[in-house]
Amino acid sequence: MTANVLTLCAAGMLVTAYLMVGQKALLTTIRLYGLQSLLLGLVAATIAIAESRPELLITAALTVTLKGILIPWFLMRTVDRIGIHREIEPFLNVPASLLICLGLTVVGYRVSTGFEQGARGVGHHLIGVALSLLLIGLFLMVTRKKAITQILALLTVENAVFLVAVGVTSGMPLIVELGISFDVILAVLVLGVLVQRIVGRFESMDVSRLSQLKG
Amino acid sequence: MNLLIWTLTIPLLTAGVGGLGGPPALKERTMVGGLALTFGLCLAIAGQFLGGHVPAAFDDVLRVDGLSALVLVLCGFVGLLSGCYGVGYLRRNERRGLVTPRMRREFYGLIPAYVFAMLLVAVSNNLGVLWIAVELTTLASVFLISFHNRDTSLEAAWKFLMLGSLGLGFALLGTVLLFAAGQGHLGEGMSALNWTRLVQAAPQMHPFTLRLGVVFALIGYGTKAGLAPMHTWKPDAYREAPSPAVVLMAVGMLNGAMYCILRIHLISKAAMGPEFSGGLILTLGLLSVLIAVPFILIQWNLKRLLAYSSIEHVGIMAVGVGLGAEAGVFGALLHMTYHSLAKPVALFSAGTLAQLHSSSNFKEIGGGTLGRTPVSSALLVLSAVIITGSPPFGLFFSEMTILRAGFAGLHPTATSVFLAGLVALFCGMAFQIGRLVTGPQPVDQKAPDPERFDFALGTAIVAAVLAVVSAFYLPAPLMALIRAATQVVWGTA
Repeated sequence: MTANVLTLCAAGMLVTAYLMVGQKALLTTIRLYGLQSLLLGLVAATIAIAESRPELLITAALTVTLKGILIPWFLMRTVDRIGIHREIEPFLNVPASLLICLGLTVVGYRVSTGFEQGARGVGHHLIGVALSLLLIGLFLMVTRKKAITQILALLTVENAVFLVAVGVTSGMPLIVELGISFDVILAVLVLGVLVQRIVGRFESMDVSRLSQLKG
Repeated sequence: MNLLIWTLTIPLLTAGVGGLGGPPALKERTMVGGLALTFGLCLAIAGQFLGGHVPAAFDDVLRVDGLSALVLVLCGFVGLLSGCYGVGYLRRNERRGLVTPRMRREFYGLIPAYVFAMLLVAVSNNLGVLWIAVELTTLASVFLISFHNRDTSLEAAWKFLMLGSLGLGFALLGTVLLFAAGQGHLGEGMSALNWTRLVQAAPQMHPFTLRLGVVFALIGYGTKAGLAPMHTWKPDAYREAPSPAVVLMAVGMLNGAMYCILRIHLISKAAMGPEFSGGLILTLGLLSVLIAVPFILIQWNLKRLLAYSSIEHVGIMAVGVGLGAEAGVFGALLHMTYHSLAKPVALFSAGTLAQLHSSSNFKEIGGGTLGRTPVSSALLVLSAVIITGSPPFGLFFSEMTILRAGFAGLHPTATSVFLAGLVALFCGMAFQIGRLVTGPQPVDQKAPDPERFDFALGTAIVAAVLAVVSAFYLPAPLMALIRAATQVVWGTA
């Protein structure tokens, strides 16, 4: 039962990542990220209950409130304020992107077999999905032009790292985890302010326009 | 109360006072006073360490060994210099009417906050806390880079934040993987991520997970250090940030990131010998030195020139560590020390030139600055002589130590390439600085603001005196710290 839930959630996270790659409306992309974080929280909660580790429940609660609700809300507010709702044409079209992400998933799963816990059982899926998510996040980051999508790509990478932390270890020490969450929130706030300043100056959040500095 | 905790609290309080409202004079005094006190406390901690006591707090989460003590003292020193120069810097801009209250708050709040994060990096013995502290330095520097709110500064800040966050994501993944590799050998609770525990448990770690973790962590922290090919944020950030902040990044953060790299290297070394991570660090270091060459030769901007020089120097330190010889490690740490003394002079004088000419472009500054702004030009020449590693100054000795270790050791070919890179960089810097200082002055040159003896220039002169004196006389306790740090890295401690 536990294994099934975990596999389902991990698969769900991978699906949200694929949908993010195929999506052009910014608000939907943000909602997909929120969904992905909720699934991550579910993974943590399931492990916490199955292996009776209550401190992981705090991680789960933190993930759901911060990454599942608070960060998406903040990003949506930023998008609303700026009034730009669509990703412009990415550097690579959607079918090609999806194909590349498929390849990245294969790579992620292949690397995951090297882990002690990765060779068998449900750990295999968690690590495989986490590594794929990491690669897809990196891919999103280099192929998208909008500042908000780049932030979401960064947050996807962050989610992947947390999935590794939950899936491979018995959870990071709680204080460290609190510190990291605090830093992530702070980073998103800083990014949000920076995006607003960029939009205020360039009247666009197309970061491919940021290209004056060379040499 | 523990000295260590005071050292971290004081800059934080200073940041609090600076970040809130209040008369500028109060903020100035608080910043200089607070940072001077912080430096004093850093010295006191180093004194405690040399006296045979290991300062620690919170169940060894913060702990000072030789390496920490050295980095702590250097960061405290640079923090004080940057604070003093910063006061003068802002006064100059204030006279030209460029400072808004928001800028003042950001400046006086973020500089001490940055110093706090830097010091936290230096004393944390816990990989989790280390990561958090490095992330804090990144966040503190974003608004310092976009300080002037120009198009280009927003661009630089954005690129810095994206690349920096990505690097930190990698570093976090590396930390998680190292933690995972040691599962079952590290114990429970907060101290399970303590570096001392990880080093002890390293031989029993799962090899594949460990390797992957080491690679991710090295690349992540290498991004912060500005090792090639993850260096691309550096020239932009250095050009756009105000000089006091650049000093914190170019010396403080560079030392801090090098510290992280060394910690990861030591875990890897304890588990599988020095070759794996040493080879990686050597490669990255060599690449950094070589990549700096063409960009210094074709450079068109003074502050970007210094950024590439900083990439070169972090490369030199990495090469020293990666060579896998005790003398190389000693040379690298000596290099770190001398670099921390010399680089501020270069950045301060370049910053003054840029401020007086309202630009850091060579073309807009024009040649022949020695006639128009003699003091800062002379300081720039002096610092260029020092940072290119000319005798009789300190960086010459540290580079020689590394070269000797390299030729005597396992990597003579790499060392030859390294030497060629150093020579080319010397010529490039000499050409660029020479053409700026003595070259022909354009006819339609706009007259710069007159050079005035103010607080900032005074700080630059004091820093220059210290940099010159250190070549002939390095205080014995500082030398003892460098030796203690070498012992930590070489593993005889």
